[in-house]
Amino acid sequence: MTAVLFATLRMTAPLILVALGGLLAQQAGMINVALEGLMLVGAFFGVLAAYYAQNPWAGVLAAVAAGGLFATLMAWAVLKLRANLIVAGLALNLLALGLTRYLLQVLFSTRGAFAPERLPGLGIVDSPFLRRIPFLGDVVLGHSPLVYLSWLLALLVAVFLKYVPEGLQLRAAGENPEAARSLGIHVDRMRALALIVSGCLAGLGGVQLSLGNLQLFFENMTNGRGFIALAAIYFGQARPGATVLACLLFGLFEAIQIRLQTRMGVPPQWPQMLPFALVIIALTLISIYRRSRKPSIRL
Amino acid sequence: MAYLEMRGITKRFPGVIANDHVDFSVEEGEIHALVGENGAGKTTLMRILYGMERPDEGSIRLGGRVVHIPNPQAAIRLGIGMVHQHFQLIPTLTALENIVLNCEPRQWIFLDRSHARRDLEALMGRLGLEVPLDLPVAELSVGEQQRVEILKLLYRRARLIILDEPTAVLTPQETRALFSMLRRLRSEGCTVIFISHKLGEVLEIADRITVLRRGRVVGVCNAVSTNERELARMMVGDIGMAPRSSDRKQENGFPVLSVQDLEVRDSAGRSLLKGLTFEVRAGEIVGVAGVEGNGQRELVEVLAGLRVPDKGQIRLANVDVTFLSTRERRRLGMSVIPSDRLREGLSLASPLWANLIATRYHMRPFSRWRLLNPRNIRFYTSKLIQEFEIAAPDVDVPASALSGGNLQRLIVAREIAVSPRLLIAAHPTRGLDMRATQAIRSLLLELASRGTAILLVSTDIDELIALSHRLLVLYRGEIVGALPASQADPETLGLLMAGRRPS
Amino acid sequence: MAWRGISQGLYEIGRFSATLAIALAVGAIFIQLTGREAGAAYLALLESALGSRVALADSLAAATPLILTGLATAIAFRGGVFNVGVEGSLYIGAFAAAWVGFAWPEGPAWILLPGAILAGGLAGSLWGLIPGSLKAWMDVDEIVSTIMMNYIAIAFTSYLVNYPFAVPGLANAMSPPIAPAIHLPRLLPPSQLHLGFVMALLCVLGVGVLFARTTWGFELSLHGMNPVFVRWAGIRAPRVILTAMGLSGFLGGLAGALQVLGIHYRFIANFSPGYGYDGIAIALLGRTTALGVLAGALLFGILRNGASGLELFAGIPLELVRILEAVIILLVTAESFMRWRTSKVKEA
Repeated sequence: MTAVLFATLRMTAPLILVALGGLLAQQAGMINVALEGLMLVGAFFGVLAAYYAQNPWAGVLAAVAAGGLFATLMAWAVLKLRANLIVAGLALNLLALGLTRYLLQVLFSTRGAFAPERLPGLGIVDSPFLRRIPFLGDVVLGHSPLVYLSWLLALLVAVFLKYVPEGLQLRAAGENPEAARSLGIHVDRMRALALIVSGCLAGLGGVQLSLGNLQLFFENMTNGRGFIALAAIYFGQARPGATVLACLLFGLFEAIQIRLQTRMGVPPQWPQMLPFALVIIALTLISIYRRSRKPSIRL
Repeated sequence: MAYLEMRGITKRFPGVIANDHVDFSVEEGEIHALVGENGAGKTTLMRILYGMERPDEGSIRLGGRVVHIPNPQAAIRLGIGMVHQHFQLIPTLTALENIVLNCEPRQWIFLDRSHARRDLEALMGRLGLEVPLDLPVAELSVGEQQRVEILKLLYRRARLIILDEPTAVLTPQETRALFSMLRRLRSEGCTVIFISHKLGEVLEIADRITVLRRGRVVGVCNAVSTNERELARMMVGDIGMAPRSSDRKQENGFPVLSVQDLEVRDSAGRSLLKGLTFEVRAGEIVGVAGVEGNGQRELVEVLAGLRVPDKGQIRLANVDVTFLSTRERRRLGMSVIPSDRLREGLSLASPLWANLIATRYHMRPFSRWRLLNPRNIRFYTSKLIQEFEIAAPDVDVPASALSGGNLQRLIVAREIAVSPRLLIAAHPTRGLDMRATQAIRSLLLELASRGTAILLVSTDIDELIALSHRLLVLYRGEIVGALPASQADPETLGLLMAGRRPS
Repeated sequence: MAWRGISQGLYEIGRFSATLAIALAVGAIFIQLTGREAGAAYLALLESALGSRVALADSLAAATPLILTGLATAIAFRGGVFNVGVEGSLYIGAFAAAWVGFAWPEGPAWILLPGAILAGGLAGSLWGLIPGSLKAWMDVDEIVSTIMMNYIAIAFTSYLVNYPFAVPGLANAMSPPIAPAIHLPRLLPPSQLHLGFVMALLCVLGVGVLFARTTWGFELSLHGMNPVFVRWAGIRAPRVILTAMGLSGFLGGLAGALQVLGIHYRFIANFSPGYGYDGIAIALLGRTTALGVLAGALLFGILRNGASGLELFAGIPLELVRILEAVIILLVTAESFMRWRTSKVKEA
């Protein structure tokens, strides 16, 4: 049981990081379908930098930078060149996939996986003293530092959106950009920043996946996690608390996937499908609820 | 030297001069009304003042100094604030958050809510305004939302407040409350510019009035030394009196539209329409009066077939159409001019011919066996734009190329060219200049004289009295008054519209 | 609605050439990374894609699924429905066709082949009607729901060939092979060009007529421009949405079916390199017109086919083509790029 929960927290951390980024973009009014590609880019460049510098934190930095850079490209295309947000996001996913495969081949002459022996991992945060706490000790401790960072960031994002003026302005820019503009808020600038930050966070999630969880990079290793994060955002209606809970739920699915398969013969595809199916059900229920409460505003 | 002086302001848009060397000055501490027909340039002028547009020529002086206003932020810094016709509020944020947005008091990096609250409560106390500060703004009433907008300006120390058609969305009581607040602001030394085309209200609240017509200033006068007739004359120039329906004999046709006990409820169970029973006869124009938001929209939607009533019956030419689709109702002879011209009446991006046959493309001669016949379509639509004098080079241009008046002509052409049995016309002349308004009114009268039954929904009392044979007054979804046009006058109607019984 | 002036057409071509040029320039930068020469690389690509009859035929074969997914997406976009779910319909349709093929190995070809094709199309159609109904009846946003449906489809079909329809003893997850009788005939062996290409061309014709001359096409376009007005005019919006998604799904499923019947001869899990998503790019490239989609699909088909030549003869990883495609897509959708106006696709 503790093992399952431990694995859940481990699987969930990348999701939380990516989802937090996407959530911020969503609050600014932008649905970021490029989370998948941004995460992949973070995973790749994180491993790359960690390998060359022989330092995991160089990897983390590189991942954040890579995600941010790619997101900047997307922001420029969407806000300056007025590209369609969804199509630009999908293009970015394509770019990330192609670029990472290309560089993998060009730099290391491999296709598939890059798992050098001398790849430093992120290490583990542990404390023999706290370990003695029954149950919780084994579940909560022993994770990579980024896992704890993800929880901290979740808290920070929640606080930001409710108590910090820039957070309120971000929400304003997303809900009613014209009103926000009339008050002097630079809506496009906020949107760009939100996208770039979502790229950085997605990159962070990616490097947690490659360096924190597995210590290698392989082609398309994100494998849809970016979209699961998107699913979590929609499930949680872009609210930090609910989104994190959704991430935990989906992380749980991933963690017990193997167990279900070996113990109960449940094909792994069922838990794989579950997050996506749940989102559709949730969206349908929300639509039904919304239709029964029409607003009466003059806005 | 006036407090605000706008000199020689000129603003051109493609194809039209919105402001033509306009000189506009306002004294400090006065309530100054800016009146004119739609399209006269009032809103453009104020948008320039608020920094949302840049003038092509001219200058602005505030307190004697020349100022440049490149954006709303600059205007706010100069102490100018504007409340738009469509509120600029963030629905999920509270009133407090909306009011202080982007100039929030801070404690370290956080929003200092208690500080803001203290300031706002003091402000509200001084002005006699009350607004719940901690509810999401989406849950407030329209009047309360408007007050939030005004508080927004005052919080930013606006000394010059621009209100764009503020009473369009208010009940008479809320209008009264607004006026007393404006007077209080005036006594505090604030200056108010009040855009409106409701002459009665303007005369009541304003100190001075500037009249614009076709982008030019036509006159400036003191409210006490002028009256509605004179203002209207300045606004409109010398166009002849509108033809009146009550000059004509009442037709005694059979009831084309018959509504029985119609009821529409919203999802929470509140009634939007209740117990509506009325009929419209062939050749008759029945006007529906009422302040916007009292059920007119739902009435039009239910009659047009976009909404199913919770109770009651609708009969069209003696056929029960209550549950029939819009297309079937049109087939039985119904036409609709919807109130939201751009969203409901047209497809701006589509070519004119598509807009003109949008209701009949599936019938001969426009199509056969699901295949369109382009030649017939062209022929018919070309004829139509000629007949109705729609200014367009050909039928292939997108509707977006047309001006407001021409767009309405397009809609009217489409709807009445089929010689309907019943025409539902919702605010058909809203936002149009005098010429277009006259043209459409004449078309409606002609249609009625040829036997069409017309249900006219409008907030323009003069239009209703002029065109209708009979009037119904809608208040909170119920008919509170039904009278022949000859017995209707603005006072009686105004009382009924406010839900009071005339003495 | 194809009243475009000559000047408009020239402008389009000009703008597209600029897009291509920029993409090639970006690609050149990446080619430099490998120390090779860009010119030779691109030449190798063209040579590989168009250098011989067989090569050309292979390019057309590569374009076949793209034509269909492009048409599928174009139909939805025109109707104002942002269908990102063609990929899912593709998978479901592919499996359905394969199933007809391997479930009745002894059946007569003249029933089974049309049956398989139809099954693929219908299955894809039904798949698309799920999010379509949700949008038509309950106003559920189609962007998210269709993306989700894609992942469900990929996982579901993967399940199907790993469990109920698994072939024992095979490492790769794939279905049993389909009956040889219903393989789509190859048009120009040894190339991969098969009869499906002709069917795709017929679809181009059909969709073109649909858009320009039918009442359905009229309703579709009108709904795409203004879904509110359409109701007031008497057109039933749910019907338009359902038709759009149904047709879109059908063509997506057809694309998958033809891949199975013409190339792979079985269903292979995760076989699609993103044909559905490419369809979005192609629909935009072709400005949601049938001929435009054909042109875009041919372009992408050439790029795809040439990719292997790029690797074989110039030593550059074929993923470069993906990078080129991504840049093209980005620029195509950029409305301010060379100040293009009028987009029918709603901005998110």
